[in-house]
Amino acid sequence: MACDFLMVQRYENIVLAKVMKERLLDAASITSLGEALVAECDRTVKISLVIDVSEVGYLSSSMIGKLVAVHKAAKLGKGRVAITGLKPTLLQMFKITQLDKLFEFMPEAEQAIMMYRRKPL
Amino acid sequence: MTSKPLSIFPGHPPAVPPVLLERCWPSRIDLKQQIMDEIVDLLINRGWVAEDDRAWLYLCFDEVVVNAMLHGNEGDPRLEIELTVRVDEFRWVVTVSDQGDGFVEAAIPDESQPESLLLEHGRGIRLMQEWLDELTYYHHGSLAWMSRRRADRPTALPISDSMSHPL
Repeated sequence: MACDFLMVQRYENIVLAKVMKERLLDAASITSLGEALVAECDRTVKISLVIDVSEVGYLSSSMIGKLVAVHKAAKLGKGRVAITGLKPTLLQMFKITQLDKLFEFMPEAEQAIMMYRRKPL
Repeated sequence: MTSKPLSIFPGHPPAVPPVLLERCWPSRIDLKQQIMDEIVDLLINRGWVAEDDRAWLYLCFDEVVVNAMLHGNEGDPRLEIELTVRVDEFRWVVTVSDQGDGFVEAAIPDESQPESLLLEHGRGIRLMQEWLDELTYYHHGSLAWMSRRRADRPTALPISDSMSHPL
């Protein structure tokens, strides 16, 4: 499913997915984004997926759940997921729900890409 | 995340603080954003919630409005949700109620179980409990009572508490 607010750049198995939307609250946006990210994981074995959410200001618990689905899809293909650019309040929500055990968090997408280049799967 | 017990009572919510605003909407999910914007702007513009906490407000109201419309009222647009805003000197309260039968706590995943980490749902109520000072359900779960101290009264105690603990 195409997601009109997701910009994807691929560097072999490192995939940068930048979310170009401030509010991830409505069901259509959440479904569209989730399906697009899962499709990237299904397409690339051993994916190193970097999800840049620096433009996201608000999200719902449904969106958090959808990101867990993305993590599972990446793991199925022996991949990994980093989330970058999370605003402090949103990062707090991920930590409260212990999702820092599933995802790597970094301030900048470039840092995650550099780390994944240094440590390829 | 520490698991906090969730209070679900069969009876009515307290009568105080007094109701400042009362509105009803049909259970139409396309109205959700408008409802949330209206209440979030009210709480922040009055200074009761800090601007930095806007994302928390959206998370909480998204959760209760979606639950009320889609679970409580089963998405039936003929059924309404009712929202009230209440305030006193120290706290604000928002209630959201639906016309359903409520729910039981067993319906919420237990996050103390390791396998719950990979669930794709069930985090909303626990997140709300972390940020709100009080999250209580009345009418068997069909009325959510959300309360937090006012951001413009950061440290003060209610007068009755101060007087009951004299220096």
